[in-house]
Amino acid sequence: MTNEAEVRDPTGYKGALREWLLRKNIGVWSMVRVKKGNAIYEGVVLPRSENTSENYLVIKVDTGYNIGIYLTEECTIEEIGFKKGEYKLPDVTVRMNKDLPKVTLLGTGGTVASRLDYRTGAVLPAFTPQELFSAVPELMDICQLTPKKIYGILSENFKPEFWVKTAQAVMKEFENSADGVIIGHGTDTMSFTSSYLSFAFQDLAAPIVFVGSQRSSDRPSSDGPLNIINASTIAGYADLAEVVICMHGNTNDTYNLIHRGTRVRKMHSSRRDAFRTISDIPLGTIDANQNIKFLKKDVKKRGKIEETWLDAKMDERVAILYFYPGMDNDILESAIDNGYHGIIMIGTGLGHVSSYMFPALDRAKEEEIPVALVVEPLFGSTNLRVYETGRDMLARGVIEGGTMIPCAAYAKMIWVLGHTKDYNEVRKLMQTNLRGEMITREPNKGYLLFQGVEPGIDEMMRKLDPNPRFDAFR
Amino acid sequence: MLDPKELDYKTLGFHAGLEVHHQIKSQRKLFCNCKPEMIKSTTEPDYRFERYFRPVLGEMGDYDPGMLIEYEKGYRCIYHAFEEVDCIYEQDEMPPYWPDEEAILKGYELAHWFDCTALVDEIIFARKQYLDGSITTGFQRTTIVSRDGFTYVNGKKIGITNLTIEEDAARRIKTENYGRTVYYNLDRLGIPLVEVITDHRDCDNPKDLLKLAEIIGLTLRLSGIGRRGIGSARQDVNISILGGDRVELKGVQDLSLIEKWCLHECLRQDMLIKIAKMLKEREFDINELEHTYFELTDKFNATNIPNNFIIMGIRLPKLDGVLGLEIQPRKDFGQDIFEKTALITGIIMKNMFHSDEIDSKAQRRQHKDASNNFFFSNMSKELDKEIRLALNVKNGDSYALVLGSQKWCIHGLKKIIERIKMAPNGVPQETRRALIDGNSEFLRVIHGKDRLYPDTDTPIIDMDMDEVYALKEKVGKRPWEIEKEYNEKYGLTFEHVKQLIRHNRLDDFEKLVKNGFNPKLVYKVLEETLKTIKRKGTEIKNISIEDIEEVLKGAQQGLFDNSVIPKILKEKVKSSEKSIQQILTGLNIKKIEVEELEKIYPEALDEYNKIQSINNKKLNRSAIIQSQQHYKANQITGILMRKIHRALSGKIVYEFVRKQLEAK
Repeated sequence: MTNEAEVRDPTGYKGALREWLLRKNIGVWSMVRVKKGNAIYEGVVLPRSENTSENYLVIKVDTGYNIGIYLTEECTIEEIGFKKGEYKLPDVTVRMNKDLPKVTLLGTGGTVASRLDYRTGAVLPAFTPQELFSAVPELMDICQLTPKKIYGILSENFKPEFWVKTAQAVMKEFENSADGVIIGHGTDTMSFTSSYLSFAFQDLAAPIVFVGSQRSSDRPSSDGPLNIINASTIAGYADLAEVVICMHGNTNDTYNLIHRGTRVRKMHSSRRDAFRTISDIPLGTIDANQNIKFLKKDVKKRGKIEETWLDAKMDERVAILYFYPGMDNDILESAIDNGYHGIIMIGTGLGHVSSYMFPALDRAKEEEIPVALVVEPLFGSTNLRVYETGRDMLARGVIEGGTMIPCAAYAKMIWVLGHTKDYNEVRKLMQTNLRGEMITREPNKGYLLFQGVEPGIDEMMRKLDPNPRFDAFR
Repeated sequence: MLDPKELDYKTLGFHAGLEVHHQIKSQRKLFCNCKPEMIKSTTEPDYRFERYFRPVLGEMGDYDPGMLIEYEKGYRCIYHAFEEVDCIYEQDEMPPYWPDEEAILKGYELAHWFDCTALVDEIIFARKQYLDGSITTGFQRTTIVSRDGFTYVNGKKIGITNLTIEEDAARRIKTENYGRTVYYNLDRLGIPLVEVITDHRDCDNPKDLLKLAEIIGLTLRLSGIGRRGIGSARQDVNISILGGDRVELKGVQDLSLIEKWCLHECLRQDMLIKIAKMLKEREFDINELEHTYFELTDKFNATNIPNNFIIMGIRLPKLDGVLGLEIQPRKDFGQDIFEKTALITGIIMKNMFHSDEIDSKAQRRQHKDASNNFFFSNMSKELDKEIRLALNVKNGDSYALVLGSQKWCIHGLKKIIERIKMAPNGVPQETRRALIDGNSEFLRVIHGKDRLYPDTDTPIIDMDMDEVYALKEKVGKRPWEIEKEYNEKYGLTFEHVKQLIRHNRLDDFEKLVKNGFNPKLVYKVLEETLKTIKRKGTEIKNISIEDIEEVLKGAQQGLFDNSVIPKILKEKVKSSEKSIQQILTGLNIKKIEVEELEKIYPEALDEYNKIQSINNKKLNRSAIIQSQQHYKANQITGILMRKIHRALSGKIVYEFVRKQLEAK
């Protein structure tokens, strides 16, 4: 097994240990025997993660476990073999059923598609979307799914320019007669991207479905498979022509929610059911057997794809400032000084900021930099007419964001400023409901945050959701 | 099948090892801050949820074959959770917290108890896939703390290959829907466990294996590392015989059945090897097994077939008589194959049939529930002929039938063929569930190393090795050392040592023996007397070691006979402030001098003679025996003891009586 001619590379090892390994021509995937005192360790050398301590050798032993050994000068090490490992899903033969709808899956990274990274020891996006087929073979029976990787970036590394590129990639798929498009996206900033795409597409005639996973696909319990299966069904079949997010409805693998792209927000750092529609109910549900049920009456229906066009202009010089007690004027001043063209401010309660901020607001007005207010409580609407502070703010030209959630307001201003810098136009557009980002009627069910004390809640927690997926007589 | 009575483990080449899983005593769960406690199983859960699992690739880029079989089972998993002991970590809704370092250190401490040489310097948690739903993440977080240790069983060195720390799995409550829906209780999930793995080549007979399990258990008890209570320890047994392969028996909770399980597994492996030889002689070729399934529904009486069900069959060339061979008591090869098929596909046992079962003496026909089997009540000699014709079954061939939906039938027959294709190789590597009758059934393909991959949620922990090595000081005498010492010094057996350790009375024993008391008497008082009076309702917790010592001292001084020790201890619990002397007075046990015995002796002799004369009338022959001095002395001693309320030790009184008789 040992190939003498080959030069071994101890990937990830640093300092003295690296030197030693190089001298001995021992690298990653070398099978080694290490003697330390009266202990003998045998195994395959694995790459060493970054940000870990020096002088530890990581080997995979016969049982499949990895162990770390601290090597000192007294230790001896010899290579006894070599076994290269490659982390790759087996290829599957893709058979396309021509009668099924055509759907494209655009991969942008994130945990719908991710793998281990030895460098940091963390999860990194790396699966090609093609490999999804071998992981989720059911997809082949739902639609003719064409996976395309547009880039592999983590959610938090997204920038508005990627929104535009994503939108353009989607448009290209519609031009090539896709019946729907799925975008695999990291969950952290998914609702920013979904908001922007909502504004950028005009006369949208088919669904654009954002999907991700809160448990990465390198886990057997991943929520990714059900999410992608359901997203494929929506993209291929649903009579829907909006930008939506399709993620787990609750902790069970029983149904997903279909959220309007401009009203949805990640509300938990790790739960499967992190995505919630704010101040309203979601557009609909799709269960584990792919039955779609719409709950809202204003869902936009499919139209002629030829009429869809893309207006993906943008101006990314927009900042979000979160007002907090004691916030100093200088932050807003600095945003103006640094040449930001628009500001989204998250104001307390109905959208207030302190009167200490007024001089900066005055300056923004003077320089015609739009400042739009959204509410810190996330639920509910701005209203700057109730209290004096609010009225003073309005007098300084701030724009009421109404029920817009911060990410939607941010994406909207970026889109709007891409079209016009005229203060009055910006104000008008920011206050006009374009893509359901502003709701004019807030239903009672729009605010359901249970506290665990409500009558009947215990019964509800014990009950399981109906699950049509499970069929006893398969 | 071999006659179980004639089975010889040495000739068979029996080898076995253990994987002992024991919960660690800790303040919290391994990866979250929930209490490591179990909830009474009848408690209504606070919330329920459900999940499905899929296999993922191992680190080296392969699917574990065992995992693919697991996925094929298609379980729907329903969890019962409790606010008191579960948080969203158990729900798999968040990454783990920092692992409980106390539990990890206890792992190292146990490694010292087994003299492990290869301690790891860095803790790297791995994920071990489990798709049966027993862990909500679909993998168990587990880490090696050390390797290469050992223990002794009857003087024989047994290797400890690996010692790992991991999280415990959820408890299975029940299954529904042909085993496809599995319910789990989440209370146990996440409790820290230590797994001690012994070298599966080192133990060559079941008796030693049982003792090995006990010794590991005792080490956990002695070290104080193990949590106590029901379900805190479970062991898997790895068994192989010469020409067979490693089979893991799971769910061995009751140690007393280990020997039986070993026996039945040996019978099975031996028979599977014989079947392999038989197939070779018949020139059986696995390529002759074709995945050609025939529908045979119209051969059966339609009214008996459940709605939407059909019957499908398959020809099994050259297998005539093979499936009917008994491989474990009252179980034939066919049943073993059907059990595996049932577990993977969800088809129930009574809806499967093989041609050897046309015989009324077939194994499954003798079972209690045989009448439930669809085929047993619907098959006839004529139908058998028809089916043989339809399936083109030739002389020396066999066939199998399945009842179910078309999808089920095909899946089932496919699995039957796949298993039969393994038959020429003898024993397949399997994890099997141990059953109470000593037999076992297929559970899953033995898990390989490809189901392990690094846990990226948990950072690598560099251990402070000085602290780790310092733990060696906590190691006391090991059970196998105590066994040797006690046997040599006091003549106590392993059973005795086991009891003392289990009841935490080792220190008491040593203290009392050191103070000069007879070791066997001390053992008897600590392990038997206390148990007896406890059974009779005395709260033995209230008896201190000082009380026991005081009582033993009295017995040693000859204040009373050993047989009154329980009575005195009982009194001591009732009124602990009383001195032994006071208790003796209360029990009407007065200190008696030998002179007094002399006074009472004639009375006792009279009584004895009286009894003798009555007895002699009844039975003449007994006179011969009674004339023997020894017997006479015993009898008189008994009478005297009663008269003096056992206020002297029996030994003293006996000596006295003997002297009296001799003097005569």
